[in-house]
Amino acid sequence: MKFFLLVFKNVRRNLLRSALTTLGTMVLVFVVTVVWSILALLDLVTQEKKENLKAIVTERWSIPSRMPFTYADTLAEGAARNPGDLRPTDSMTWQFYVGTLDREKLTRENFVIALAVQPEKLATMMDGLDDLRGQEKEALEKAIQALRQNRRGIIVGRTQLAHTNKRVGERLTASGIGEFKGIDLEFEIVGLFPPGRYDQMGAINCDYLNKELESYPLKHSGRKHLLADRSLNLMWLKVPDTEAFNRLTGQIDAAPYYRSPAVKCETASSGIASWLEAFRDLIWGMRWFLAPACLVTLALVIANAISISVRERRTELAVLKVLGFSPTQILLLVLGESLLLGVGAGLASAALTYAVVNWGLGGIAFPIAFFDRFMISAHALWWGPAMGGLAALAGSFLPAWAARNVRVADVFAKVA
Amino acid sequence: MEHGDVNGMIVRVEGVHKFFRRGSERLDVLNGLSLEVPEGEFLGLMGPSGSGKTTLLNLIAGLDKPSEGEVWVGDQRVSAMSESQLARWRTRHVGFVFQFYHLLPVLSAYENVELPLLLLRLSAAQRRQQVLTALELVGLSDRMDHRPGQLSGGQQQRVGIARAIVTDPTLIVADEPTGDLDARSAEEILNLLVELRKSLRKTILLVTHDPRAAVRADRLMHLDKGRLVEHQATA
Repeated sequence: MKFFLLVFKNVRRNLLRSALTTLGTMVLVFVVTVVWSILALLDLVTQEKKENLKAIVTERWSIPSRMPFTYADTLAEGAARNPGDLRPTDSMTWQFYVGTLDREKLTRENFVIALAVQPEKLATMMDGLDDLRGQEKEALEKAIQALRQNRRGIIVGRTQLAHTNKRVGERLTASGIGEFKGIDLEFEIVGLFPPGRYDQMGAINCDYLNKELESYPLKHSGRKHLLADRSLNLMWLKVPDTEAFNRLTGQIDAAPYYRSPAVKCETASSGIASWLEAFRDLIWGMRWFLAPACLVTLALVIANAISISVRERRTELAVLKVLGFSPTQILLLVLGESLLLGVGAGLASAALTYAVVNWGLGGIAFPIAFFDRFMISAHALWWGPAMGGLAALAGSFLPAWAARNVRVADVFAKVA
Repeated sequence: MEHGDVNGMIVRVEGVHKFFRRGSERLDVLNGLSLEVPEGEFLGLMGPSGSGKTTLLNLIAGLDKPSEGEVWVGDQRVSAMSESQLARWRTRHVGFVFQFYHLLPVLSAYENVELPLLLLRLSAAQRRQQVLTALELVGLSDRMDHRPGQLSGGQQQRVGIARAIVTDPTLIVADEPTGDLDARSAEEILNLLVELRKSLRKTILLVTHDPRAAVRADRLMHLDKGRLVEHQATA
């Protein structure tokens, strides 16, 4: 206890230096904590599940995937043709719709990005919506019911609603853009998504989009819309386990229905992993360059502070040896000082980052795929002190070793 | 072989040579020096700068090792002990008083005196008792909570002496303990050392340039060019 007190008092000896070292450590631990939280999220979503898997069926050779909506019926059955073939426990069609509130002003704020789905599937198939509880679940069920009853309904995310400057119950008109040009839809806002990953998108009834695609030739001299036969972006099929997934993949691959275009079936995690391939270099850089560079810098910051401290206190360390402190105790004293700084600053930084990001900001925007926002991992509460501690040990070992080897006779030969 | 403490000698230095190397140059500091100090003696060591006084003191206190020869303190052959053994031995058997006090600035007088006791297996109550006794002996009970920066030079040196005696060591070595003090403070410190020798029967080795300090010793020895050249009884 007294030894710890001595360590603590030594750290307080030069408050400015200790404060600056602590600040430097906190900043670097913050950066690494954020980076590792993102990587942990990516690892989690690309980790293969063993049970209750979602299989994704997409066009095999083309990105973005565009399949005929007619594929949906047979895919929903898992392409089962024979008695005993496996059928998915649930399924969901995905059709994206992109429109704008103002054709003259194509800003992000005016975009209406919506997922055209079978409304009831929102509650059973969508990540983050299938496990809602309490009031949020009730509100979503009410919105889904309204979407089923009102083919022109839309359930919107909080950010999207804020951009439209509308309220639930009001109407909005979206003009199709890009491949959706010519598909103008009128919606009534029937509900909101719970805050979180769906803040920036909406969900519409797929019947509405499909009817509009069907009726397009009536208004355009019999000409079909560009997406008429390729409006299905992907299909989600739920299966109980890996074995079922493998059987389902076999059935779909062998089915004669999906020749042009051909389709492929993969797990949601491998689908996301394939999609993340586009960000491979960025993710590699974060994992193997940015985070290690921060840790090395952290060790150097601490090494610098401890080196100066040891050099300044050479005589004092010699006095401790004279009093009977062993070389190992001197080593531990100096390592203890750097550990106190590193672990303390690491813990403070991680705890502060966790509290501010998760509780204060409600997550940090990470608008790729459907991640939307990400939270700081609870593991950060041990990452921080571990990072600070290990960097402190690595950075202070040489100065501590120099302190351990201070030769009393050399020091006092000059003094006396 | 154990042959320390012969005829009541607490310190035995036998044929000690000490040299340092600076590049290719060999610097001989002590040349075959022998010395015996009986228990309870106050021995003064004088000599010009570079004569080897501090080196001799360091060898006796186990802070350095002789190039040749042996150093015994009590029944311990100090010159043959490892660094860790020496550290443990010093805590118990040697109290060191420095010219510039060398108190830890972040600790109070009480905590500075307590420092060597942290290395011994003592309860908090035992430590407190020993610290209070040491501070009482040097007359600083009323300054125990002061930091070194809040004490005068003489008071700091008293704290240094309290730190040196708090473990009840066999031997007290003092390297120019009055060298940084005014005449009055120096006199007080010398009185204190004499009193410690008398009341606690401590063996004291004092290195000094100050003739006033030297005359307080029971015996005075002169070092010149690494040899003891003169023996003189003072008291």
